[in-house]
Amino acid sequence: MKSYNYLVLILVGFALVACSDLKEEPIGLLGPDGFFETTADIQTAIDGAMTHAINEKFWGRKLSIALMLRSDMVNLQSTQTRRVEMNDMTTLASNGMISEFWPKTYQGIAAANQAIAGAEEVNVDAADKNPVTAQAYFIRAFYYFHLVRQFGGVPYVDAPIIDAAAIGSVSRTPAAEVYAKIIADLEFAKEWLPDTQSSRAIPAKSAASAYLALVHLTMENWQAAFTEAKEVIDNAATYDLALDPDYQTLFDANKIDASKEPIFALDYNNFEAPNNGYDQIAPMTGIRGDALNGGGWSVAVPTLAVFDTWDAEDYRRAVSMQTEATINDTIVDYTQFDKSGHEHAANQPYIAKYIRFPGDFARGNARATSHNYSMIRYAEVLLIAAEAAVELGDNASAITYINQVRARARSGGSWKNTPASAAPADISGTVTVTDVLEERRLELAFECKRWYDIARRKIGSTVFSASGLEGEKPNFTDDDYLMPLPEDELERNGNLTQNPGY
Amino acid sequence: MYNNFNKKPLISLIKGAPNWQLLSFLSFFLFLSFNTSAQSISGTIVDATNNPLIGAAIVIQSTNVGTVTDIDGKFEIAATPEDILVFSYIGYKPQEIQVGANRNFTITLLEDSEILDEIVVVGYGSQKKSDITGAVSTIKAEDLTAFPVLDAAQALQGRAAGVVVQSNNGGEPGAPINIKIRGNTSISANSSPLIVVDGFVGATMPQANDIASMEVLKDASATAIYGSRGSNGVILVTTKKGKDGKLTVELNSAYGVQNTTNKLDLLNADEFADYQNQIRANQGNTTAYPQGEADTDWQDEIYRSGNTQNHQLSFAGGTDKVNFYASGNYFDQQGIVVNSGFKRGTFLTNLDAQATDKLKLGLNLFGSRGTKDGLATQSDGSVTVGGDDVISLAMRFAPDKSIQDAEGNFTTNDAIGDEVDNPYAVATERIDETISDNFRANVYGEYDLLKNLSFRTTFGVSSENEMRGIYQPSTLIITSSAVDGRARVTNAKRTTLLSENYLTYSADLGKSNLTLLGGYSYQKSDTKAFAAAGTGFLSDNFSYHALGTATGLLQPASSLSEVEIQSQFGRVNFDIDNRFLITATVRRDGASNFAENNKYAIFPSAAIGWKVSNEQFLKNSNAISSLKFRVSYGVTGNPSISPYQSLARFASLYASRNGETVFAITPDQPANPDLKWESSYQTNFGIDLGLVENRVNLTFDYYNIDTKDLILGDNGVPEYFGYQNAEILTNLGEINNKGFEISLITRNAVKGDFRWDTQLNFSKNQNQVVALINDADFFGNAAPSYFSHDRSYVLRVGEEVGLFWGYDYAGVYQGGDFPEGTATLEGGVAGDPLFYDIPDEMNVRDSLITEADRTIIGNPNPDFTYGINNTIYFKNFDLNIFFQGSQGGDIFNMTNVQLNNGDSNTTKDHFNSAWTESNMNTETPRVGNNSNREISSRFVEDGSYLRLKNVALGYNLSPDFASKINVQNIRLSVSAQNLLTFTNYSGLDPEVNYFGAAGDNNTSSNTVQGFDFGNYPTVRSIIFGLNVKF
Repeated sequence: MKSYNYLVLILVGFALVACSDLKEEPIGLLGPDGFFETTADIQTAIDGAMTHAINEKFWGRKLSIALMLRSDMVNLQSTQTRRVEMNDMTTLASNGMISEFWPKTYQGIAAANQAIAGAEEVNVDAADKNPVTAQAYFIRAFYYFHLVRQFGGVPYVDAPIIDAAAIGSVSRTPAAEVYAKIIADLEFAKEWLPDTQSSRAIPAKSAASAYLALVHLTMENWQAAFTEAKEVIDNAATYDLALDPDYQTLFDANKIDASKEPIFALDYNNFEAPNNGYDQIAPMTGIRGDALNGGGWSVAVPTLAVFDTWDAEDYRRAVSMQTEATINDTIVDYTQFDKSGHEHAANQPYIAKYIRFPGDFARGNARATSHNYSMIRYAEVLLIAAEAAVELGDNASAITYINQVRARARSGGSWKNTPASAAPADISGTVTVTDVLEERRLELAFECKRWYDIARRKIGSTVFSASGLEGEKPNFTDDDYLMPLPEDELERNGNLTQNPGY
Repeated sequence: MYNNFNKKPLISLIKGAPNWQLLSFLSFFLFLSFNTSAQSISGTIVDATNNPLIGAAIVIQSTNVGTVTDIDGKFEIAATPEDILVFSYIGYKPQEIQVGANRNFTITLLEDSEILDEIVVVGYGSQKKSDITGAVSTIKAEDLTAFPVLDAAQALQGRAAGVVVQSNNGGEPGAPINIKIRGNTSISANSSPLIVVDGFVGATMPQANDIASMEVLKDASATAIYGSRGSNGVILVTTKKGKDGKLTVELNSAYGVQNTTNKLDLLNADEFADYQNQIRANQGNTTAYPQGEADTDWQDEIYRSGNTQNHQLSFAGGTDKVNFYASGNYFDQQGIVVNSGFKRGTFLTNLDAQATDKLKLGLNLFGSRGTKDGLATQSDGSVTVGGDDVISLAMRFAPDKSIQDAEGNFTTNDAIGDEVDNPYAVATERIDETISDNFRANVYGEYDLLKNLSFRTTFGVSSENEMRGIYQPSTLIITSSAVDGRARVTNAKRTTLLSENYLTYSADLGKSNLTLLGGYSYQKSDTKAFAAAGTGFLSDNFSYHALGTATGLLQPASSLSEVEIQSQFGRVNFDIDNRFLITATVRRDGASNFAENNKYAIFPSAAIGWKVSNEQFLKNSNAISSLKFRVSYGVTGNPSISPYQSLARFASLYASRNGETVFAITPDQPANPDLKWESSYQTNFGIDLGLVENRVNLTFDYYNIDTKDLILGDNGVPEYFGYQNAEILTNLGEINNKGFEISLITRNAVKGDFRWDTQLNFSKNQNQVVALINDADFFGNAAPSYFSHDRSYVLRVGEEVGLFWGYDYAGVYQGGDFPEGTATLEGGVAGDPLFYDIPDEMNVRDSLITEADRTIIGNPNPDFTYGINNTIYFKNFDLNIFFQGSQGGDIFNMTNVQLNNGDSNTTKDHFNSAWTESNMNTETPRVGNNSNREISSRFVEDGSYLRLKNVALGYNLSPDFASKINVQNIRLSVSAQNLLTFTNYSGLDPEVNYFGAAGDNNTSSNTVQGFDFGNYPTVRSIIFGLNVKF
């Protein structure tokens, strides 16, 4: 009998499992409490801010393709509604591309805000931590600069969310104020970033300066734009910058990292990251049925006019456009690109800048490449300086800068061992704004710059007329210079207003 | 001799006969005539109305000697005066009579009205069924094993009023089963009931053959004792126990063949080329479709005849102090789609011992291993653009392609739409194996502290381990050839400890009875998971077993999550004069996953029952044999908060700096210290009525459930906050479910050895969204990501949950002016679809079809569901016919959206009915129209169905024959499942369950309902069964 009593005691023992305070102790999960201790922790949040930009929802596809389609340089071959809306200027507030890149942009901003707020907690001299934190200011400006050009005024958030109710009911910050804050961030970045970094995908002083030039140009602060651009140009040696002798190098994933021309690039690393953290631009612009890298999807394709109107002596045309493909084991020229029989195949030269040399890639059809796309490069700084100089009446400077870019475009290069061109490179006499814009259109073709140029110079009614490269876009109106804010965001915050025309 | 044979009872048995021998009836009677040691006893067995009972059993107690009555209810048996005869018949109370001097008996067997008074298991105890004050459905073992099922939950379908059971993926072997009790009581949280097996809360469901009974607790009075986990209902499972006496060995064996119930009638290669050329012509494209040389029926390539087998061996027995039950089970199903299947082995042991007069000890052990050979189905569009699931690929893939090209490579769909791998390649090449191990041990001790006071403590441990390996070989051209194969291995291990301790006190207060229960419970679970993946393998033969040789390692992940729950609970049962029953319960739950400011919650309930039939005025009624009214009210919860979900968090994410992968963070979610569980406030009113000696049993329940503090996410917080997690949660939603349930059990005919029983259940649930964030519409998308839509269903205050959202189709545009109030999408020409142009707030139509013209286009919630089960016993045969149906729910046929889009194959029906200039009188737009996979009412269909779920014919070999081969009982059966389905739905099957881009086939959802895309087809099976009891 006694032993049974012991058994009972043991069972009662089971009943007395320790009382718990029920406090959660997440192991392996990260939270803001006590996270920021060293400058390395600041860098970790900055890396988070930067990596949102490589995502498929941002530069990886949704934003880059939207910007291409809105321009006069890239037409749409597929019939997907969200892309049709972008190409035809019939964009709705429910557009499926905006609904992806709007939140992704703000996720990048939130991570930058976290880095900047976290830096306050790091007990290190400003001189030691500010050069790191400055990257966060730069990338925050980078994101807001995209937003303000796409939407005009937007909710401006510059700190981690503390009072959700207050931030959740803000009105749109006017565009002028957003620009002022972008400039302030870039000025801070310029002050603290080092002259050079170990990679062009980490912003250096020149990146802040170059973006300041472009921001001022967009705001039509011609003098400030010229001064900033000239500062970059005059300090090119200090910043380790130069035009690359071979234009093709700029679009070769295996060579671009060694080039002196990129000023700020995105770090793609041949990795199929979770949550779509990789690029799909190459297949979007690639040729159906092409043996090259498994072929593309024939989605974003320039009209034939883009090719036909481009001076054949301009080496950039050969580098920028693909005129040959291997389809069904046969090498064909662009007049037979529909040999695959695919409904979207088009008999036009395709964009070559992404599909030709994507480097190693982790997913079929050249997705998840290792191609560090340039966000801004030295040639653009020269053209910013030229455009600002024209506006300031400084024709001599304008000629100097634009001709540097034109000269490189006629010096030939490695692609098909193209020799230097006999065609004259120099513009003489008076450089016009149109000259510079045309040079930007060709030099930066398919690099997602053209739409912003059309919008800031308000030349839509010209380039989307019947004589434009894509023929008449009848739905275009001046309201299209700004895209609609996502409709569900307006539902979440009733104080946000929609842009006119939507 | 011949005449004699006809008049004698059919069969009789003689003590001491060599029962191993297989004897003919004739030789058997020879034995009888030589036997003289016992006297011959004869008699008749009748029922209360003096009708003879045919096939009633007469057995001499403690022997295996016995006989059955003939068609006149007569029997003859040899017995000594000391023998005790036991008379029995299914559904009747047995009788025992000592032979004595009597040589002729007339026995009247009474129907067993005690069926009503079976013991019903309730939370932390059991009660007589007649004393229950809550809404409880009981499902008996025979219903659970009517046909072999992999998951016992499947056997619940159509068996219990208010319980909806559906596979998450049609007939996929090993697909999870989704159970919902009384509708969707939540929006974003899980609506699955709590499963309690032999007292272990949150256990895995045991094998159907091992289950003695299943109780479904539906109202708050029954579930509130489970507090914060009670609001979705509770299923209490009791496994079989051993009994005193002889060892019983039972063998259950079933083997079945299976086929798909349905195929779509698709275009062949020539028709397909015509179709594509017509599309091109309509779109102004002059390139001819490059028709391939093959003509492949892809559905035929992926479907096959499947088979299923289930074998169980169990041992049960015991002495007066110790009893045991032990069983082993093996299940094997080869699916009807190539390369899909499931195998599972299970064991279960129950041991109970009366250690002393006061102490009872027991042990339950359960273990299982399941191996699933998985298949990619229900594509969400994430693996390859345009889909990766075998089922939808087989419907859409170009029929003019062969399986392999001349070089032996698998073909791809390269001439239309997004390029995808062919369905045969995806089915046969892709490896997807899931191995699940489950182990559970539960010990209990029960000690009688005083005469009326007992203490029970249980301590249990369970461990669930699931490993899944996926390998996409380099032979899949689109998916994985570029990376030379892709492998992924994930593992999750969950361990749960549970200690429950409670005191039960019962007092006899003269005419009344009082039972008190009070206890304490502590439960702790931790889940450890890891995942690793890589690309680039030397050989596809390595499958997923050689991640170390990958040339490209993808980011690995691991995690730990812990949940602790500690609770106190109590219950009072007060029975006044066997007329009034009062039940009150309360539970206080504290949980670690609850947010900081709301760690504890209290869940009370109360119920009153009135046994009207025990009142004087009804006591002697012949018509009404039992009548009880029940009313209950209570509050239950849904924990609905994942571990750490209320804490401020960063997400870690992939980043690269200077070409090197680095660790990076981004804000994931803000702190949410006030987040609460969801609470259901439930009223239940019930009537239990038994008529004509309980030959008719009716149970009626009406309920009204208000679920408040529903956790909603996403739409509340602007995206410009920049949190990566779109699910930022608030307690703002409210939903109401009300409805009624009827369960009717009738014994239609009992005449001799013929008996016919019918069970009918009927459930109607009406669900309504009461409150949302700012009461704004809440939209969601259930289309695959490559459909490129952002919305396909809506939650709207005042409406039911999950209504379809899209354009309202108005027929085909015939050219000229748009008919009044309609328009096409931009750029419409004759033959394109017309939609209703919905007037704006100013009642103005803009003659454009835009975002603003989307509206509610369908309701997936059924009006009612029902099940009808008929069982007929005739002599040694029994026949079970089980219908199950659902009425009034709509289905959104996403498959047709894809098949009508032009960039895939299509149905003959679609192609032949499409608008052309010579076929203008049609409801189908032209091929290659401008609709672009539109979500519109064109694809909404009535999903009502009535299904012959099961037909089973069983034959019990006569007991004497059985005993001769030394067995107690042999039963042979043949059954067919899903033999007939009556429905107007044009898709493969009306039981659909697709979740869109956000889901996978392991999830269930409250809001995404009625979408059909790429479901594994429901199977039709014919199963042969053998049951032998030794």
